[in-house]
Amino acid sequence: MQRSQVSPPTRRRLVHAAAAIIATLAVVSVSACSTTSAPPSDTPNTTVTEGGELVIGAEQEPDCADWIATCGGSIWGTYVMQIPTMPAVFETRLVDDVWSPVASDLMSEEPEAVMQGEKQVITYRLNPEAVWSDGTPITSADLSYTALQIRDGDDIFDKTGYTGIESIETPDPQTAIVTLSGPYAGWRSLFSVYGVLPAHLLEGQDRAAIMKDGYDFSGGPWKIDSWNRGTSVTLVPNENYWGEKPHLEKVTFMFLPDTAAAFQALKSGQVDALYPSAQLDAVKQIEAGLPGISSAVDARSGNLEALWFNNSVAPFDSKAVRTAVAYSLDRDAIVKRLFGDLGVESAQQSFNTPIVGAFGSDDFSVYTTDLDRVDEIMTADGWKKNADGVWAKGGETASFTLNTLAGNKRRDLTVQIIQSQLQGAGFEMDIKAVTPADLFGTIAPQGDFQAGLWAIVDTFPDPTLSSSFGSANIPSEANGFSGINFYRVDVPELDPLLAEIDSELDVDARVAASQEADAIIAEEVPSIPIDTVPNVLLWSEKVGGPLSINPVEGPFWNLAAWGLAG
Amino acid sequence: MFTFIIRRVLYSIPVILVASFVLFWAVRSTFDPLAKLRQAHDPSVIQREIERLGLDRSIVEQYFLWLKAFVTGDWGTSSRTGSPVFQLIGEALWPTAQLAFWGLLVAVVIAGAVSVYSAVRRYSLGDNLLTGASYLGIAMPAFWFGLILIQTFAVWPKEQFGLAEPPLYFVGLHSPGESGFNLDYLRHLVLPVAALMIALVATWSRFGRAAMLDALSSDYVRTARAKGVPRRQIIWRHAVRNSLAPFVTVVALDAAVLIGGLVVTEQIFAIPGMGRLFLDSLVAGDVFVLLPWMIVVAIAVVICNLLADIGYALLDPRVRLR
Repeated sequence: MQRSQVSPPTRRRLVHAAAAIIATLAVVSVSACSTTSAPPSDTPNTTVTEGGELVIGAEQEPDCADWIATCGGSIWGTYVMQIPTMPAVFETRLVDDVWSPVASDLMSEEPEAVMQGEKQVITYRLNPEAVWSDGTPITSADLSYTALQIRDGDDIFDKTGYTGIESIETPDPQTAIVTLSGPYAGWRSLFSVYGVLPAHLLEGQDRAAIMKDGYDFSGGPWKIDSWNRGTSVTLVPNENYWGEKPHLEKVTFMFLPDTAAAFQALKSGQVDALYPSAQLDAVKQIEAGLPGISSAVDARSGNLEALWFNNSVAPFDSKAVRTAVAYSLDRDAIVKRLFGDLGVESAQQSFNTPIVGAFGSDDFSVYTTDLDRVDEIMTADGWKKNADGVWAKGGETASFTLNTLAGNKRRDLTVQIIQSQLQGAGFEMDIKAVTPADLFGTIAPQGDFQAGLWAIVDTFPDPTLSSSFGSANIPSEANGFSGINFYRVDVPELDPLLAEIDSELDVDARVAASQEADAIIAEEVPSIPIDTVPNVLLWSEKVGGPLSINPVEGPFWNLAAWGLAG
Repeated sequence: MFTFIIRRVLYSIPVILVASFVLFWAVRSTFDPLAKLRQAHDPSVIQREIERLGLDRSIVEQYFLWLKAFVTGDWGTSSRTGSPVFQLIGEALWPTAQLAFWGLLVAVVIAGAVSVYSAVRRYSLGDNLLTGASYLGIAMPAFWFGLILIQTFAVWPKEQFGLAEPPLYFVGLHSPGESGFNLDYLRHLVLPVAALMIALVATWSRFGRAAMLDALSSDYVRTARAKGVPRRQIIWRHAVRNSLAPFVTVVALDAAVLIGGLVVTEQIFAIPGMGRLFLDSLVAGDVFVLLPWMIVVAIAVVICNLLADIGYALLDPRVRLR
């Protein structure tokens, strides 16, 4: 499952598969620090004092706080309100240096999934100590309510997994038994990405109306004290939380949309921490040095930017052209230009993001700049360079338009570099800036593009290849333009492997299928991965605690452990 | 005067109607109101929305459906936030109105003073310096000037003098937990007001200077001088008053622009006003906010024009005779 992260928002990718990720992730992690050395996770374990307040800069304001609705898709909403307040069945935690889904303390034991014939049955046992902020126990009725709201509701952000729920039984308040119509490897994302809603407060009520502007219930360590639209969200401790209680008395997230001003606010002490997206101006500021500010940079993100091709239209309906373009690009140079100052210099070599790296391989690493190989491939396919030095065949030139999202300086630079590199290889590329709503609402679903540069963001450690590359997910009139295989990838030998990744419950078999699929994708070059956007966390000397970036739940996943530096 | 105002108000109604239709047509032609719903890929939801908005009808029918709802206060619901648009625009107008009010007030006072000084002391060192400063003010991009102000008056003093907090704030209009008109508010207000007024002062002072010079070289001033009227009286009673009429017109027109034009200032200083609302809605393709937003700004322009006309009439009685 994916949520939008940066402005303009990225497209979420549907999750059709899941399994425990225990194997080692292929990661690239870098730490950078202006005043102290900061590893990518569990940075300074400073002693903290009890009480006090922190103000944290947030670069985006969530549109609404009804997390299961379409308006609740902002990743910043997840970071600042959802994660601190909503109980979830699985949390993403670092296990043997790998971010993995682990059962939260909402559960009394690890949920169990078994196949009974063709059906998958999942048993959840809730911790009897788990209560909502009003003291009411969190029960199986809450799981049942949540599942049915998502499965049967209108205006739901993403129903993946929930549509397969045939029944949900609640034999006692602490036990919920969910029966799925078929095998669903991604079952751990159920009640984890959205969390669990309080049935006793919402059942029979207008859930959207109660939640969209912030809610006063909580099943996490924090409660929403106030949300002043456009200005700030303030969290205070949930006194009835059954786990470790927060050290701080209050945390305020101030919305600071301008990156340069946000850095000044950090330097001037108006905010105590920042989690800026790795835009060019942010990278410059960090590289220039921030006195008194510590930083952590982690390239293990789920935010993958790629050069996407429409495989059903010229010139990218030709495998030769796609392959030649891959050999025309110097992707490492692009990444170095974008994130080199943060110490990140290697291109992404798989469509599995680093947070699901165990499922991927590095098959795209064969594609480095090789203009002789480009000439060879294009000539063999019948192309010849015209007087302008552009490849031409049968009266058509290897020219195309690349769609990119307006207003993102880093992507502007990326497409300019790509344009320049491709020009040198004999490809002519125009750039067209579009809005996210147009791109993901109309242009991409209807296949009205040749190429594009945008990001997909994984929000749960589970592979999502099938949603992007499975032929069943090609949007068409027949399926109401659903599915996000905007790239019209239809490779017969790929589909069975993607189906296996989605349904196989055995982790090893699933990893093997995924890596095989990755190899086929690299061979067919339906698109080209460019980079994963590193995560950056900055904080002042005032902040203490085990600060680290959780690539799935964000930098504030352990906010309860933060405090004023003692 | 009352008849004059009524006449001007009546003139404004068709202007707003025509403007609203043009805006409606332009927005409907440019933005797809179903874009966000299309991402949900639920044909039944899309069909429901087509029927609700009357998208299967002609543009004129759609306009009258929308207009009827608009004038009855039903401005629709934001596709981005799910909140009523009336509420969103109302909440955004207040911070913008505060910024615009203080910015205009300070800019009028400074620009007025600079205009009079520059005209009376034409080609003096002071006039030349102010002229140079004006060109600088006109040339400086607002975002750059805003960041310079932040660095100079907030970050630098804090770092240089080891202050616990910056002397002036630049995030929002209040610190967390604060509200109302107090010192905290003023410390937040200074920098954004300075950032927005610099271009206004620069432009208006040039305009005011020219108007003042025009007045000072007019026959009635020459006559007053010949009659031995004191210089101070000539300047303030005759020249300034007569140069005010065109000055007020420019101020009123620029004031209207401020209602929708503070995008950069609001973005840098994290103020949730009309500019930020427009930007957020534009990025999200939230046509349900964009259209009423434009209509509100158009109405603001018409109102400010009306105020300019009234001001003109008050300052120049001949206007009322026409």
